[in-house]
Amino acid sequence: MAQQRRSRVLRTTLVAATAATALILAGCSGSSNESSGDSNSFTFTFATSNNLKSPYQSLADDYMAANPDVKITSNPTPNDKYGETIRTQLSAGNASDVIQTTPGSGDARGLVPLAEAGFLAPLGDTAKNLVPKGSESIFEYNGEVYGQPLDFTVASIVASMGTAGQNGITEFPTTMDDLYADCSTLTAAGKSMFAVAGAAGPNAGLTAQAIAASRVYAETPDWNQQRADGKVTFAGTDGWKDTLQTIIDLKNGGCFQPGVEGGGFDAITNGLAGGTSIGGFIPSGSAVEIAAAAPAEADFKIQPFPAPDGGKQYVLASSNYTMSLNAKSADNSAAKDFIDWLATPEAQQKYFEYSGELPISAYQDMDLSDTVYSSVVDLLTDGSYTPLPANVWPNPSVYDALQTGVQGLLTGQKTVDQVLADMDSAWDA
Amino acid sequence: MSATLRTRDEHREQPRDDTRAPRRSRQLSFGHWWWALPGIVMVLAIHYVATSIGGFFAFTDWSGIGSFAFVGLDNFVKIFSDPTKFGSLLNTLFLAFGSVIISNVAGLVLALGLNRGLKSRYILRVLFFMPVVLSPLAVSYIWKFIFDYNGPINLMLKSMGLGEYAKAWVADPTWAIWTVLIVLVWQNTGIAMVIYIAGLSSVPVEVEEAAAIDGATLWQRFVHVTLPGIRPAVAISTTLGLVNGLRVFDQIMALTGGGPAGATETLATQVYKQSFALGNFGFGAALALVLTVIILVFAVIQQRATSGKQGEN
Repeated sequence: MAQQRRSRVLRTTLVAATAATALILAGCSGSSNESSGDSNSFTFTFATSNNLKSPYQSLADDYMAANPDVKITSNPTPNDKYGETIRTQLSAGNASDVIQTTPGSGDARGLVPLAEAGFLAPLGDTAKNLVPKGSESIFEYNGEVYGQPLDFTVASIVASMGTAGQNGITEFPTTMDDLYADCSTLTAAGKSMFAVAGAAGPNAGLTAQAIAASRVYAETPDWNQQRADGKVTFAGTDGWKDTLQTIIDLKNGGCFQPGVEGGGFDAITNGLAGGTSIGGFIPSGSAVEIAAAAPAEADFKIQPFPAPDGGKQYVLASSNYTMSLNAKSADNSAAKDFIDWLATPEAQQKYFEYSGELPISAYQDMDLSDTVYSSVVDLLTDGSYTPLPANVWPNPSVYDALQTGVQGLLTGQKTVDQVLADMDSAWDA
Repeated sequence: MSATLRTRDEHREQPRDDTRAPRRSRQLSFGHWWWALPGIVMVLAIHYVATSIGGFFAFTDWSGIGSFAFVGLDNFVKIFSDPTKFGSLLNTLFLAFGSVIISNVAGLVLALGLNRGLKSRYILRVLFFMPVVLSPLAVSYIWKFIFDYNGPINLMLKSMGLGEYAKAWVADPTWAIWTVLIVLVWQNTGIAMVIYIAGLSSVPVEVEEAAAIDGATLWQRFVHVTLPGIRPAVAISTTLGLVNGLRVFDQIMALTGGGPAGATETLATQVYKQSFALGNFGFGAALALVLTVIILVFAVIQQRATSGKQGEN
């Protein structure tokens, strides 16, 4: 009797354990086949920073309208956690078929480490032909292209010339002396030349990079390669010292809004749209978004940061967004066709209209004289630009050291030498 | 109706009077240990196995994707030789102990004040408890607005002619950690108050009255009668507060993001930053393991300290 009872207990125990295990496995594998859509459907993940309709969503909608038999399931993902999210999804095997990535390896969403880990599928000649000359290393791994560039983003200053004019500044300053003079004028009027999100790492970092363009890369365009070869260091480069010292000088000269060290992205949006600041260090596409919230007379233009005495003007310009194909979806023809379509003149023109970013395939042939890019057309034409340095740096910790360091400079917690030493340590780690 | 039912029950149970003992024992064993198996398997798989795998990565150089290699104790050596990580540890302890002490003192004062007598005590209890039920993230964003350079605190200072004291509070190297502490205390005081109110309800009024008749002052009554009576509540409230304080994350991410320049980084924010933002998963796992050990040590010390005194009681 007791033996029967024991065997019943054992049997029931086994059933319960099997059921629980099955339940757990079912739970774990519930979404694992998300990326195995049929040949006429695929999933698409891209980063989004606000509640406005993403240009990527608009492109997907247009593609579906033109190809009624194709179904695209979009997965817009918050920008601030985007890198972590796609890494986790790729590791778990439930990432989308088409994924927005960035060139290089300086960011958690950088395509090089993802390709190295075998998560991405190589792309064809269409993508290869769009890669800017000299930038192959940040789009390729083992000779294969893993990200198709989409944009040509200018990362410099987006300035409201309308607000500048209302404050007696008819032309954007081209020398540091003029800049500091204008800063004084604006401070006296209770306004500021720049709105900077000092507490938001990405903006603090972009500010430093935009200034470094004319102080480091104008003179030594291959500085990153030299650093990789061990020929130079951050701490030993005068241009980097000048860059960080300029940030301190700008703060002391009243060029930033009061409380800059605590400012978030809202400080830039509100400052530029509300007319309390003239400009901000933001990507060119943001000019279109902020213009939508600002009065019509704001007249936004992309301006280069003034060069140092005796130096030449230089800006950051490169493709910062790429489209990649999940390695698990290498056979999904619909996903591949969509990526190919994004390279067509029709899609590139739509992307320009939706995002304000220059299209990678056609920007050189476009007439930009009457657009927000009019002030930097000459620099783009004569090649006075460098790719976003952080994309080329070997790991995300280098850029993090710069972001944190700029914040430390604004609060007085760090010195220029400390920040540069931190960046060198992160590079060599 | 109820009378009928009772009669029927009595009628049914009457002949079994002699077998009541065995039946009761069967009732007591209602349910079997293996009924809990699905739950136990779930907890083991989701909590302990997952945590153990995370702990395993603490001894590797895994970036979060791709392959990894064993690095032994290298990650731990890096943690203890990096001054910024030591700063994060100090911040973690400061916020944990600061929030536990202030929240519990404030919670106890509120509980004593709202225990009996006061007519509006029920509405006041609700008001003081309200922050506990709000999302820490939402609360932190509201406080961030309050502490903003253009926020109400600075506006008030400027209107009082104290404009020179206006600052970006969450980005000030000295004040940033205090803003986090204020938010933690504001949100944790309510739960401490509720625990103490529950504890105070078990303190007999007669004993307090007897002490008062014997000439004990208010303070003496509190120290010698009330406090010993609520010692279990103190143990629960401080343990919960300490564990929550050691793993504080949401409030810091929303208020300061660990800044300015790492001034408010804690072990929990460092775990997140290293593991997910910077791709140093192995190093982040090692930090998480250190944090777990710290929480465990303090929780055990704290439990032993309070349970010993309870035994004496």
